[in-house]
Amino acid sequence: MAVHAVRARDKDPLAQFLGWFSIALGTAQVAAPRALCRLVGAKEDGAAPTVMRALGARELAQGAGILIRPRPTMWLWSRVAGDALDLSLLGLTAAKNEGRRGRTAFAIANVLAVTVPDVLESRRLGRKEGRPQAGRLIRKAVTINGAQSMVEEAWGAAEELRRKVAGAGATVTFAAAPGNRGTELAVEFVHEPPAGDLGAAVQKLTGNDLATQLGDDLRRLKQEIEAGEVVRSDGTPSGHLLADHLRQRAAQPLQEATR
Amino acid sequence: MRATCWKGPNKVEVENVPDPTILNDRDAIVRITSTAICGSDLHLLDGYIPAMKRGDILGHEFMGEVVEKGKAVANLDVGDRVVVPFPISCGNCNACQSELYSLCENSNPNARLAEKMFGHPTAGIFGYSHLTGGFAGGQAEYARVPFADVGPIKIENGVPDESVLFLSDIFPTGYMGAEFCEIERGDVIAVWGAGPVGQFAAASAKMLGAERVIVIDRFEYRLRIAREHTGAETLNYEDVDKVPEALKELTGGRGPDACIDAVGMEAHYHGPLYAYDRVKQAARIETDRPFALREAIMSCRNGGIVSVIGAYGGLVDKFPLGAVMNRGLTIKAAQCHVHRYMRPLLERIQNGEIDPSFVITHKLALDDAPKGYEMFKHKEDDCLKVVLKP
Repeated sequence: MAVHAVRARDKDPLAQFLGWFSIALGTAQVAAPRALCRLVGAKEDGAAPTVMRALGARELAQGAGILIRPRPTMWLWSRVAGDALDLSLLGLTAAKNEGRRGRTAFAIANVLAVTVPDVLESRRLGRKEGRPQAGRLIRKAVTINGAQSMVEEAWGAAEELRRKVAGAGATVTFAAAPGNRGTELAVEFVHEPPAGDLGAAVQKLTGNDLATQLGDDLRRLKQEIEAGEVVRSDGTPSGHLLADHLRQRAAQPLQEATR
Repeated sequence: MRATCWKGPNKVEVENVPDPTILNDRDAIVRITSTAICGSDLHLLDGYIPAMKRGDILGHEFMGEVVEKGKAVANLDVGDRVVVPFPISCGNCNACQSELYSLCENSNPNARLAEKMFGHPTAGIFGYSHLTGGFAGGQAEYARVPFADVGPIKIENGVPDESVLFLSDIFPTGYMGAEFCEIERGDVIAVWGAGPVGQFAAASAKMLGAERVIVIDRFEYRLRIAREHTGAETLNYEDVDKVPEALKELTGGRGPDACIDAVGMEAHYHGPLYAYDRVKQAARIETDRPFALREAIMSCRNGGIVSVIGAYGGLVDKFPLGAVMNRGLTIKAAQCHVHRYMRPLLERIQNGEIDPSFVITHKLALDDAPKGYEMFKHKEDDCLKVVLKP
């Protein structure tokens, strides 16, 4: 197997986590502002819920920015600024609502706790230079028990799969597996969905995620070559398909109409 | 047709469902003449194996008569009498060609789910949750058998169903558990669990030349069957303070040369640790209660082998890995590669070396399957093995 360089992305899991954290917090603030006011020890009437909702809208914008941009340095600094604003608002709350200071103190502790990674991650991304790297290198490989010529021929005949792979700009390699184990077939491509991590999440949820699809497609190809058929079960009548995994039927023989 | 369906935790019902049909060219349809309830079906019944769906047909131990076959099945004819192995195996992939049939790479349509759970996918299994493919099981009047050109073994007329039915699972499983022990002259083998698999593990260990076999359980009627039919000694763990201590004293302080866990994920135990694991399992913080496995590891002699054939589904707590590493133990485990053992074990049955029907305590009509599950689960009426007749 050739040695291949894996492109390192600018955004690490911590930045992604902070992005999703913003989305989650923002959603709660926009959807249930009164409950969150109660949680941080603020009044549940007057201007407080409106302010809470506005803060939620800010969080949502920051979250989306962090998830969509390949190198969201400014978006992360905006989280740090947001933390400062939140802390000063919580200070005001504590001054005005003496009876609920315990809750406010707890909220302040939480904001301080998330400020630390916000600052660290902002500084880390701030040190990055050059063009931002957004794509992830995806590699899907399968070992097929057959001669390389046979596997290449079957690949040539799998037109739909070849079109899909070509559409993603993927490279396909064949190599003899060690010790007469057959042929290793590997597909490699750079996954760079529109709208960054947000887009990737949507693709995964809707089943349009090429990496997952490719895993299933390669399994089907392997079955066709090795066993001569794609095995069907009562629960998953069409074999390996994401959509079917999400809505399995009970393991009972199929009704005539659905066969 | 009538079929035994899982309807939720602790609920099975016999219902009318559509008849199976050929879906792949290598399929066959078998009219079932005998089928059995397996200990691992109880794990499904209790809801501890993930990915069950209401309506799933249970059962992976069955035999019968071929009534229809796909066009790629050349080695069977309609009318043939066959026993069907519980793993579904293509016979073509690297795993099958290495005789690791329960690890077939092509027979599980839900390989991706299994991969998430176990790291790599495993073979399809009849009636054993959607993690192993979502295949309808064999506690029914008919079953569709994929890759019928590889799995089913033909049985001549004249041999009763009861003597060969257990080639489908528990006899090969017990035998493989004994084979894992690499038995040499003078070896002492301990077997946890005197259920049907434990009985066959004990009998197989004797067949493979073990000097002594010690079977551990808490039900006297099961221990009696082990003494009478497998030539084993028995140890009722409720009669001793600590099983590893007792085994040490029974083996001159060495410990058994190999230990077979034929209990699995829903073990019983006396003592406060039972409550600890039972609560964690009920809360789904751990999936398996590994008392038997912990004891097997702690009991085994230095450098010995721990053979795991009891079924586990997920994660365990308090696993004594320090004992395994520092004392140089070897752990061997698998869902049985049944295909590998069917023919040689059939020969042993035909030679009269063993008649596996000794484990059967109850024969019921298929429609009485729910009663069979109840009796087997709660060990009522000295129940050891239930065979259903469709």
